[in-house]
Amino acid sequence: MTDEREITLTVNGTKRTIEVEPRRLLVHAIREDLDLTGTHIGCDTGNCGACTVLVDDEPIKSCLTFAVQADGSEVLTVEGMEELPESAGDLHPLQEGFHEEHGLQCGYCTPGMILAGKALLDENPDPDEDEIREAISGNLCRCTGYQNIVRSIEYAADELEARAAADGGTSIPDRASNASATDGSDAAFDCGLENCCGGPAAGADGGESRE
Amino acid sequence: MADRRPELTEVSPVSSDPENSAGGEYHHSEDGGPQPEKHCGHGRGGMGEEVSRKEDRRFITGRGNYVDDVKKPGMLHCELVRSPHAHARIEEIDGSRAMALDGVVAVLTADDLLEYDLATMPTLMDDTQDVLVNDKVKFQSQEVAAVIAEDRYAAKDGAEKVDVSYDVLEPVVDAETALEDDAPLIRDDIEGKEDNHCFDWETGDEEATDEAFENAAVTVEEEMFYQRLHPAPIETCGAVGDYDPGKDKLTVHMTSQAPHIHRTLFAQVSGIPEHKIRIVSPDVGGGFGNKVPIYPGYVVAAAASYVLERPVKWIEERSENIQSTGFARDYDMNGEIAATEDGEIRAIRVDVLANHGAYNAAAQPSKFPAGFFNIFTGSYDVETAYGSLSAAYTNTAPGGIAYRCSFRVTEAVYLVERMVKVLADELGMDPADVRRRNFIQPDQFPYESPTGWNYDSGDYETALDEALEMADYEAYRDEQQRRIDEDADKLLGIGISSFTEVVGAGPGKSCDIAGVEMFDSADIRVHPTGKATLRVGVQTQGQGHETTFAQIVAEELGIDVDDVVVEHGDTDTDPYGLGTYGSRSTPVAGAATAIAARKIRDKAKSIAANELEAAEEDVEWDRESGEFHVAGAPERSVTVTEIAAGAYMNHPGGEEPGLEAVNYYDPPEMTYPFGSYVVIVEVDRETGEVEFEKFVAVDDCGNRINPMIIEGQIHGGLAQGIGTAMMEQITFDDNGNVTGGDFMNYLLPTAMEIPEFETGHTVTPSPHHPIGAKGVGESPTVGSPPAIVNAVVDAMAHAGVSHVEMPMTPDVVWKHLEEAGLERRPAQNLEFELAGDAGESVTDDD
Repeated sequence: MTDEREITLTVNGTKRTIEVEPRRLLVHAIREDLDLTGTHIGCDTGNCGACTVLVDDEPIKSCLTFAVQADGSEVLTVEGMEELPESAGDLHPLQEGFHEEHGLQCGYCTPGMILAGKALLDENPDPDEDEIREAISGNLCRCTGYQNIVRSIEYAADELEARAAADGGTSIPDRASNASATDGSDAAFDCGLENCCGGPAAGADGGESRE
Repeated sequence: MADRRPELTEVSPVSSDPENSAGGEYHHSEDGGPQPEKHCGHGRGGMGEEVSRKEDRRFITGRGNYVDDVKKPGMLHCELVRSPHAHARIEEIDGSRAMALDGVVAVLTADDLLEYDLATMPTLMDDTQDVLVNDKVKFQSQEVAAVIAEDRYAAKDGAEKVDVSYDVLEPVVDAETALEDDAPLIRDDIEGKEDNHCFDWETGDEEATDEAFENAAVTVEEEMFYQRLHPAPIETCGAVGDYDPGKDKLTVHMTSQAPHIHRTLFAQVSGIPEHKIRIVSPDVGGGFGNKVPIYPGYVVAAAASYVLERPVKWIEERSENIQSTGFARDYDMNGEIAATEDGEIRAIRVDVLANHGAYNAAAQPSKFPAGFFNIFTGSYDVETAYGSLSAAYTNTAPGGIAYRCSFRVTEAVYLVERMVKVLADELGMDPADVRRRNFIQPDQFPYESPTGWNYDSGDYETALDEALEMADYEAYRDEQQRRIDEDADKLLGIGISSFTEVVGAGPGKSCDIAGVEMFDSADIRVHPTGKATLRVGVQTQGQGHETTFAQIVAEELGIDVDDVVVEHGDTDTDPYGLGTYGSRSTPVAGAATAIAARKIRDKAKSIAANELEAAEEDVEWDRESGEFHVAGAPERSVTVTEIAAGAYMNHPGGEEPGLEAVNYYDPPEMTYPFGSYVVIVEVDRETGEVEFEKFVAVDDCGNRINPMIIEGQIHGGLAQGIGTAMMEQITFDDNGNVTGGDFMNYLLPTAMEIPEFETGHTVTPSPHHPIGAKGVGESPTVGSPPAIVNAVVDAMAHAGVSHVEMPMTPDVVWKHLEEAGLERRPAQNLEFELAGDAGESVTDDD
């Protein structure tokens, strides 16, 4: 056994410090050291995407990442979805979408799919079907045939847009710049506006506009 | 999309079983009309309503509880050492280097297991498989030793330090070579065994079939290989064994589609009495047949816990899952049809060579060594048929399991639906017309097939017509001809499959698993406040039982679906059942649920009479309102919820208190769901790539419990059918190395390969099922591969192509294009341009 190293992750908005072997995979740190078992393992080779989490807003396969590589990062797992501002204290629109559109059966790929969907909608709040299919093409589902997963993400896009509209269409600061300046506290996620941080990234993104 | 719902059709009972015939009362029917809202119908979430799934919340919030999520105090981890060779005698196993590592607690070999009489285990087909190899390795990745350690990483380190010396033997991986006289003998553990022959099987009337072929005006023949597949659920197999010496009780959390039968097998293998074993199958991340058999890892985790008196977890990696657990198919089939010149099928003959791997570890009813393959006459009224099969042992993983399939029905349907296309092309007929010409007609049911099946009900032509209309079939036929005439770059192919399945095993008199008859069970308890708990003997792996079975109770008892909780997967609390596979949950446990609910209603009726102060014979059940009322006085009514209070707080004299019922249901017959799929593909003549232009699936699974869940099942099964037809295959090299043994090589379809599906349905209830349902989960996986292959063949049929083997990767298709003279090569000057580009790029680099 190699010497363990201390790493600090901000997981779902909470700062966590753990000691891990340098070879320990991030997915094992998340599941076994942090007891967040919503993130799953399906293939060990980066093909299935059941282990997908967001590290500093980027979707990554946590079975291909060492925990030490994520030292100092913000990690979002499925367990953090309900805590996001756009979830308004209940299910995130993506979670709601999977339920409403029957986007899951056995549920094993679902957390990874939800995170892959979140990464897409953060980048592109109004994706078309092809864009959704491409965004989840690194995530395998053996149950649904993907059709209802596509609908689930479309549902979430619509719901996020509706919530943003109801909120007066406030522009959303860039999450990444917040993240780099953060000490990992909840404040990084909470700008005081509903459906803000982590929501449809638009205005603050260098003025790039989408139809 | 022609999705009409809900429409629940009256069931006319034909069964002599008096309980069963209660099905006749099931009669609410609605006309097509607009799409219903969720929780429509009676509004209580009963039959036919698109109830959102009750189980979803835990999965979408990360609160599911799969086997690898189970964490127990003091839990150890198990890693299996596997053989790199396919055929080898073990000379020595030395675990000393592993034992010297920090955290390694034990290294187990067959010798250790022999002490406890746990060295071998029975397969579901009564073969005997080594738990850890004793003497000779028979397939690559076979389990040789187990390392038990304090954590996952230490166990893995230990496994790498177990030194095994092998005397490598010549392997044989394909069935044909295995049956040759000079093939190396694999099963020298079976006394007197001198060859690799596993078993022979035949069905039908050989003489009459031969005669029909001799006298036939037209005969066609085609050889086709249904390649080796793996169910590959996204969750691999795993177990946590936990022996409690204080209670002398073994608890095993395991990825099991059949926890009760696994408990019985564990009792038989271990000698621990069955009442001191608890199997828990918690949330299961997909099964598809993979989690029906017993695997060595389960036994090792339990045995290690028993020996070490600590919980032991074993979780497979993906490569272990694909390389060592139950594969499916691997049937080399030769099909023949004898017909008249106008396309009437007179006889079907089929011969199969089956590769069963190193052990006969198929998972099917024990009296059916070839499963239900003898359903190969399909949807057609054929006078006579004959099928023969030889099975071989090879140095490959054991299996022949029913991957999303009712026991080899998939192979049978592929054979007959492909052969009908071959016949149609030979005769120059429209394959839709050949099917119509030969369909078993609705008035012929119940229909006895020439191989002995008793079909319950069907209306095949209606389903085909619906599918053809949805697909705009005639217009695509015109477009197909236009492209041929204009020598277009992309050819169009149209494939049809009109399949019939046989699902819902038992009856117990003919179907058993390891001797236990294939019934199933339901136990309903209505609590004093009118809420109900249903426990069933089947186990969900994503099929949505916690919703659909609650809907059956809601329908039968007139209570809200939200007031019913469904429990399953725990042998300590659930009634004994045979598990979920072969599309049997709704046909068998669904029936048990309906009958148990009706028993409760019978008791409730007498309490209702008491509460309504009426004679029992004057009390009627009103399914629409979900109430009992006095005949002729509907305002004098009482609900089951109100009665539940009475059953516990004011029960009538002479009645037992409480409101519970149990039913063990032995089905009188199987059910026969069917459908028609139409697939339209574009074949690129330059690359051999196949693109789906249209994918239409019309299914008939009898009365529909939850259309949303049915549609979800259809989508998923179709995607698996596409994987089968286009991508998936386990292959071996000559040394017995698995060459498709992980997700980098065994390709599952992603969202990019799967098209949008158009689904439709017809409703032909099962006459013998209490709620007229048939089971649906497997239809799309069974029915779609032949439709897809037929489409690709159809695109090239005008140039003489009669068959394309699966998986139809671009290179395979391109070779057929080339052989048929249909290939299109890049423009001649491209080579020149490429050379020019290369020259330029050299310059750029400079």
